[in-house]
Amino acid sequence: MPQTESLVLAVPAGRILTQALPLLQRAGINPEPDFSTDNSRKLRFQTNVDGLNIVRVRSFDVATFVAFGGAQLGFVGADVLMEFDYPELYAPLDLGIGRCRLSIAEPKKMSADDDPSRWSHIRVATKYPRVTRAHFSARGVQAECIKLNGAMELAPALGMCQRIVDLVSSGKTLKANGLVEVEQIADITTRLIANRTALKTLSQELNTWIERFREAVNGS
Amino acid sequence: MDTVNCVNRGRGAMKKLSTIMLLPDGLQDTLPPDAEAEAQTTSRLLETFASFGYQRVAPPLAEFEGTFLEGPGAAVGAKTFRMVDPLSQEMLCVRPDITPQIARIAESCLSNLARPLRLSYAGHILRGSGTQLYPERQFSQVGVELIGDSSLAGDVEVILLAHEALSSLGVADISIDLTIPTLVPIICRDLGLGEIETSEVRRVLDRKDTGSLKEMDVPGRELFESLMLAAGPANTAIEKIGALNLPNEAGRHVALLEDLVNQLRAFAPSMALTVDPGEFRGVEYHTGVAFNVFSRGARGELCGGGRYCLYGGEKATGFTIYMESLQGVIPNDPEPSRIYIPFGGDAEKARQLRRKGWRTVAGLQSTDSERAEAVRLGCTHIFENGEPQLLDG
Repeated sequence: MPQTESLVLAVPAGRILTQALPLLQRAGINPEPDFSTDNSRKLRFQTNVDGLNIVRVRSFDVATFVAFGGAQLGFVGADVLMEFDYPELYAPLDLGIGRCRLSIAEPKKMSADDDPSRWSHIRVATKYPRVTRAHFSARGVQAECIKLNGAMELAPALGMCQRIVDLVSSGKTLKANGLVEVEQIADITTRLIANRTALKTLSQELNTWIERFREAVNGS
Repeated sequence: MDTVNCVNRGRGAMKKLSTIMLLPDGLQDTLPPDAEAEAQTTSRLLETFASFGYQRVAPPLAEFEGTFLEGPGAAVGAKTFRMVDPLSQEMLCVRPDITPQIARIAESCLSNLARPLRLSYAGHILRGSGTQLYPERQFSQVGVELIGDSSLAGDVEVILLAHEALSSLGVADISIDLTIPTLVPIICRDLGLGEIETSEVRRVLDRKDTGSLKEMDVPGRELFESLMLAAGPANTAIEKIGALNLPNEAGRHVALLEDLVNQLRAFAPSMALTVDPGEFRGVEYHTGVAFNVFSRGARGELCGGGRYCLYGGEKATGFTIYMESLQGVIPNDPEPSRIYIPFGGDAEKARQLRRKGWRTVAGLQSTDSERAEAVRLGCTHIFENGEPQLLDG
């Protein structure tokens, strides 16, 4: 095991966690048993590696924890990186897990005779106002965003807006809510991110970890 | 927040103190003991610069906007705090950076002074907007510029000076990161990449965004990947970049970087040195080797600098130390001893104490318990029975 001085790895709670665990193990990191149980109230976990702790936070917060230097490394979706665009973050490795896409969806009955090229102003419910605005403004469409933190699929049905921008993996949630995917904004995978200052001052240690994760990804 | 009612003097109207005392976003008061600590740090840095022959200049707070939009200042244009000059009706900006001002001085008032010209400065800057990571808009900058010299020895001098100035303040775990912001654009040009592709490649390399690079369809992608992976401790990085056998101009830039690393190693063998060939941080004015100084525990870099060209083409290099980042990693000086001189105390004795380095706090009226009064005013000692007495607790 490489010796590291008090490093913190931030991983997102929820969906990605089950896919991240085998990757951690292949990289030689075994978190304490509480880590993989949902009912633990702990947020910070020891690992078998001396001085390496794991924190479990909300996926959007992983980027913020690493950007502010609270954690030196993190697992985060490319969607979150696009939304925040923190200059203090490096994303040196595509972990290849959490595969999905960031897409625009609208009610099925509307999509039949909707012509996206004629949009000039639209209202969108999304967790990603920045990405959404940038995507539409590149096409000359002014997007008014309703920032929601979840359950975007409800917004069209309840008359708040007609379109949503959200992560789609199987498309089941969309279908269940009478929505269809009309346009894909980006392919998303989970990335390994590193804090810029940490990568400069702990170059050797962090590069060793990045290399181990790279081997873990390639070995899968 | 405390809301204290007070009388607004002009009209006698009552207003909530908390609302009239608010500061604009990103601006804040620096209080004791931080204000003194910052002033001391600034003066110690300037002393170090002076001891290396750098002379101090002090440009004004605001200038015509043009000064900042031409030459080395162009890169900060979008962040400036602008206003209209009531006198000339011209657009002014409060300086968002001091380097462009030093460049202007070197090319105008000091154009006849012998080169290389060594100048130092310290002052505040103002930005139009903050970021989530750095919500502040006012910053304090202290730095040097070495103007009219394009030698490797100049790069070495400036980098070692930054290192010495910071280590002499007691900053621990200093690490210097060397970059060549011009390298990637040159490689892109040689590969025939267009402007949009070039800027995308640079952005992706700057962020070390392997995932996005893999998805890009550009010639030379493997080369860019190797460059990205080369970043790290100087010795291995130089080896990896050297192995790429970059041709012509790109090769010469790499050779120059290697020379620089070797010279820095010779002067300061134990200095932590990393190389990052892809990094440029959106700064467009560097024309050669640039560097950033980091310290474990500081958020972001403590110091940034590198080669640039003056408006008229003169070559220069220099660096800026970011005082807000620095202040967090300097070991605190012990609080100075403050001694309470009760009302009516011996003025001459007090003068003698000050001469010995004591800080005296004079009582302005007698009180029942002088000791309690001394403690209330934050003193460590009291002048009693003709001598300083330590206060308990």
